This record gives sequence, structure tokens and C-alpha cells, in this order.
Amino acid sequence: MTAIERINQLSHRIFNTSKSEAQTTRTSNPFAASNFQKNILTEDVFESSKAKEASKVSFTGNLTASSKRIYSTFVGSLGDFGNKFYEGIESIMAFGTRMKDSIVNTCKHGWNKLQEIGNTEISLDGTKEILKRDITSFFINGREREISKLSKMDPHSEVKPMLVEALSALEADMAVVAA
Amino acid sequence: MDNNMRNNKNFSKVSNIIESLTINPSPDSIAVLEEIGTNSSIDDVRELTSRALVKRNEHDSLAVVISNRGKGINDMSTVVAMSTINELLSLENKEEAMKVLENTISSESFDEEVKENARSVKALMALS
Repeated sequence: MTAIERINQLSHRIFNTSKSEAQTTRTSNPFAASNFQKNILTEDVFESSKAKEASKVSFTGNLTASSKRIYSTFVGSLGDFGNKFYEGIESIMAFGTRMKDSIVNTCKHGWNKLQEIGNTEISLDGTKEILKRDITSFFINGREREISKLSKMDPHSEVKPMLVEALSALEADMAVVAA
Repeated sequence: MDNNMRNNKNFSKVSNIIESLTINPSPDSIAVLEEIGTNSSIDDVRELTSRALVKRNEHDSLAVVISNRGKGINDMSTVVAMSTINELLSLENKEEAMKVLENTISSESFDEEVKENARSVKALMALS
């Protein structure tokens, strides 16, 4: 083989690699060693061009290699999402527990309030007594006010006619009762 | 005093008027009480009036219930007479009442019955 032929072969190998590519199966994950925010891909997301052609179903569509890396990072992060989801559930449970406790406490507080109201009803008897006493004192005070007012009147010109009139009415009442 | 009388509106009115004349400082109050109250046909009114006159604790008011025939301690009603005596016995200051009683006992112008009642009341008041 001449030097020119060797150069041609070499150039062919360098610039036309389709033949050897077709025979290459890439199952290794070039990013396996990489750590995408502690999310290590466990599966090979780099499918071969042959497999792509064979399946005809492209979930990823015309994804570039860089896009695949990004998505692989996203897929890897799903684990974290799971943890976060679980944590979320836990936080929801904690929230629920807090709500439950809050409701229980509220109910307890409400129950205590109800009991206080119930106890207040007992004190209503006292209120009733006070009202009764006040009403009684109102009438007593009313009588005292009337007596005080009458005591300031002239006995002959003012009080005497009133007494005569009231006595006449009383005697009439007594006559009715006696009859 | 029965409940019918106590619950009677007009009796309450009469009672209030008599009570007001008890504290009215005017001497005319005694005249009104004597003229109207002690001459009432209703025992309860005469009782109230006699007690009112005793409460005033004045010479003229005490003279009405001690020295007058048919009034105060000399009332025909035992209830009125006893109530008046009780009121006299309840007085804190009995000085004026004792004077009136002594005047009644010693005076020649009063009936013997009135004098006898005055002596009895005076004896009771001396013991109280």
C-alpha cells in the first residue's frame, strides 16, 4: 500500500465513520460518573440511532444530546421529587394533625366556654334576685318619693282634699267588699 | 290588717298621705290627721293615723291620742288602742308622752275612763 492509499484510508476512517458507527452499541452511560445534583442516572437514556429508527416511536422527539442530559437530570431528580412529595405528604399530615389538635383544642375551649355559659346560668339566678330586689326597691323608692313629695305640700289646702278623696274611694271599696 | 285592705290601691294612697303628714313639719298636719284620720270609719285608717300622731312625738299630736275620748288609746277598737300603746312604748324619747299622760291624769277636765287609760299606759311606759 502506497502512502497515498494509506492517507486515503485514513481520511476515509476519519471523515466517514458511518460504517463503524452502525456497529457500535452504546450501552454505557457517559454521565454515569457525573453527579447531577446527586442524581445519578441508573438507566441508559442514550439510545442508539438504530434503535431510534427501529422503534419509530419517539417519546423524546428530536432531542439533542444536551437536551437528553437535561432531561436525564430531570428524570434523576424524580427521586428527589418523590422524597419531596413524601415530605409534602408528611407536612400535609403534620398540618392535618395540627388542624386536628387545633380543632380538638378549639372544641375543648368551646366546651369549656359552654360550661362557663352553663355556669353563668347559675349566676342568672343571682341576676334574677338582683332584678327582683331592684324592682322591689323601685316600688319602695317610688312610695318613698311620693311620700316625700306629699310631705312638702300644704296640709290644709293640698293634702287634706287628697286624703278626703282617697278615704272616700277606700270607703266605697269597703262597701263593695262588704256587700 | 287584712290582705284585701293591704292590696287596695286607695288604702295605699291613704297610707302614703298619712305617712307624709307624719313627716310634714307643719303643725297643720296634726289638725288634718285629727280631723280626717281619727274620725274615719275604717279601723285600719284610724290605726295608721294614731300611730302617725305618736310618731310625730309632739305635745299636740300626743294629746290627740292620749287625752281625747274615742281616739288613740281610748279608741273603741281594741286593735287601734293597743297599736297606739305599742307605738308609745316604742318611742325612743318618751319625755313628751309622759308629760301628756301626767297632764291627762291630773286634769279635772277629762273623763275618768280617759284618765284610767292614761294611768295604765303611763305605768306600762315606766316599766318599759
